[in-house]
Amino acid sequence: MTVLRVGMCPGLSHDLINALQSAGIRTVEHLVSTNIEELAQKCSFSYKALMAVRRVLLAQHTAFPVFGLDLYEELLCSTAILSTGNPSLDKLLDSGLYTGEITELSGGPGSGKTQVCFGVAVNISCRLKHGVLYIDTSGGMSAGRLLQMVQAQIPGAAEQMAALQRIHVYKALDAFSLLACLQEWRAAGLQLMSAGSSVKAVLVDSLSALFSHLVGGRQSNGMSMMMQVAGELKLLSKDFGVAVLVTNHVTRDSSGVLKSGLGHSWSHVPHNRVLLQKVERPGSHTCLRVAELTKSSRQPCHLQEELDISYSKNLNPENQPVTS
Amino acid sequence: MLRTVASSSLAPSVKAKLIRAGFCSVADLQELRPGQLSKEVGVSQEEAAEILKTLHTDALPVNDGGLVARGVTALELLQREQAQGSIVTFCSALDSALGGGVPVGKTMEVCGPPGVGKTQLCIQLAVDVQIPMCFGGLKGQSLYIDTEGSFMVERVVDVARAAVEHCSLLAEDAEQQKAMKEFTVEKILSCLFLMRCHDYVKLLAQSYLLPSFLSEHPEVRLIVIDSIAYPFRRDFEDFSHRTRLLNALAQHLNQLATQHNVAIVLTNQMTTKVWNGQSKMVPALGESWGHAAAQRLILYWEGARRLAVLSKSSRPDGGHCCHTRSLWSAHTPTP
Repeated sequence: MTVLRVGMCPGLSHDLINALQSAGIRTVEHLVSTNIEELAQKCSFSYKALMAVRRVLLAQHTAFPVFGLDLYEELLCSTAILSTGNPSLDKLLDSGLYTGEITELSGGPGSGKTQVCFGVAVNISCRLKHGVLYIDTSGGMSAGRLLQMVQAQIPGAAEQMAALQRIHVYKALDAFSLLACLQEWRAAGLQLMSAGSSVKAVLVDSLSALFSHLVGGRQSNGMSMMMQVAGELKLLSKDFGVAVLVTNHVTRDSSGVLKSGLGHSWSHVPHNRVLLQKVERPGSHTCLRVAELTKSSRQPCHLQEELDISYSKNLNPENQPVTS
Repeated sequence: MLRTVASSSLAPSVKAKLIRAGFCSVADLQELRPGQLSKEVGVSQEEAAEILKTLHTDALPVNDGGLVARGVTALELLQREQAQGSIVTFCSALDSALGGGVPVGKTMEVCGPPGVGKTQLCIQLAVDVQIPMCFGGLKGQSLYIDTEGSFMVERVVDVARAAVEHCSLLAEDAEQQKAMKEFTVEKILSCLFLMRCHDYVKLLAQSYLLPSFLSEHPEVRLIVIDSIAYPFRRDFEDFSHRTRLLNALAQHLNQLATQHNVAIVLTNQMTTKVWNGQSKMVPALGESWGHAAAQRLILYWEGARRLAVLSKSSRPDGGHCCHTRSLWSAHTPTP
């Protein structure tokens, strides 16, 4: 609902706005949907002037239809597939994270979601040499660990520092600051945020820390904020051509089966969902996890892969680690 | 700026009135005076002035070194992390598993069965944070929030005396000798603040008063809540309400740790989980509480030895380490 303001279009003068307000019309939608003849009789303005204003406002505010073929061609040139740095995860996600899509990673505490996010950030920064925006909501970011992972991939100190400079970390410790952050990026453009290097991924770790206590109660305010965040993330991914990765916690339903948190409404938002679980091997603690694909636009569901989250060796396709 | 009215921190009823009057984004409201706003929206003039003030403060950047507004590169964050210290525990195996000690600026949870030493570890940390900087410590103060009544001043005196003795044995140059003159048992006790909370309402209220406490005492570098499980495990019929309160408290504590640069240590109890005919000891307060702290240390018994496992941290080794009874004896803390 856009309020009518002076200067929105030529012909929308102060007198016209006052006359429209006295006739009970305050917003663009209201003006466009009323009968202009009756309106011209109520206010002292001519039918022609009102029709001209209406035409310009309609042109400014309508959405344009696009042919499917044009959309497909645009998708082919603008979509990129970003490898996550972990070959098994890439296989699960049909070669990696797609720009323009939201991927969700959920798992219990200690299951490795933050490590996988670090791996994605480091891979995009070191190998693909693009910028990454990392939003940390729960204090899990450790720059020392990022440095360790970068050192495993790149030998020289100067390149390591350059790779670290391409990863930008933001702290959003409550829902309002997260929304403010995302809206500011949409207004200013992501390039300004990263001082030059093109941003290809936005990581939010973790979304559930901010919203799990707001949804599920009797008030719907929390749900509305979560859906606004979902909308902002989708707009960001489409408008700026970035891949979005968010992390989520897990809960158990009444029969004891693991499922991702944040409820039913959130489950429709991500395009792809991966569930991480620890591998139950008695005795030792391993760095192996099992990833299951629970929702995907392209692959059949319930595919499983074993992941190694130590990121200590160079996990590129030329030398696959041997998993026992 | 594309800040929408729906995303601002106003009350839901006020937001509904603003949206019904046709205001979509914050920019629409910026040129209005309170009188005009109250006429258009249908609220009193004081409420309109309040609305404009809230929106104005929302738009100001938060003063915390640019982490929220501007963001920092990972390189700058690395330099900041390396400049920040960590709090030693005087058990070398535990310190090396934690990467030097308990990190400042993050929350850590310590879980374990009764008697394994959680309160002792907390008391040790509350003393160790006060070690002078020339010995590698942080020279900070500590706040101990006791919910179970397990805090014993006599034990603190023992640990403080041992720490002072240990440091005086290490003192070599003039600067360290000078620092030792101030590092006495009385000074340690006077820099340890104690709060007692007997139920969860008092604990939650106290946590909301912590920001002003930390602003008045900027030298506090450690907050211990011992234990966080006890007030939440009794008198709660509605578990989903408890989960929501705990998640809100966890996020609030994370916010405090980051903004005021303090380490927060929480102790938790253990409970038995029966699953598929087997029973296992798991940390209490439910599965979603596991996401609250950035690091989780689980202490357990193996025969007569105490072992510690870092079950959640930013390092993926899942390090196992062991520490023995002599750790917190009054006489010789093992360096």
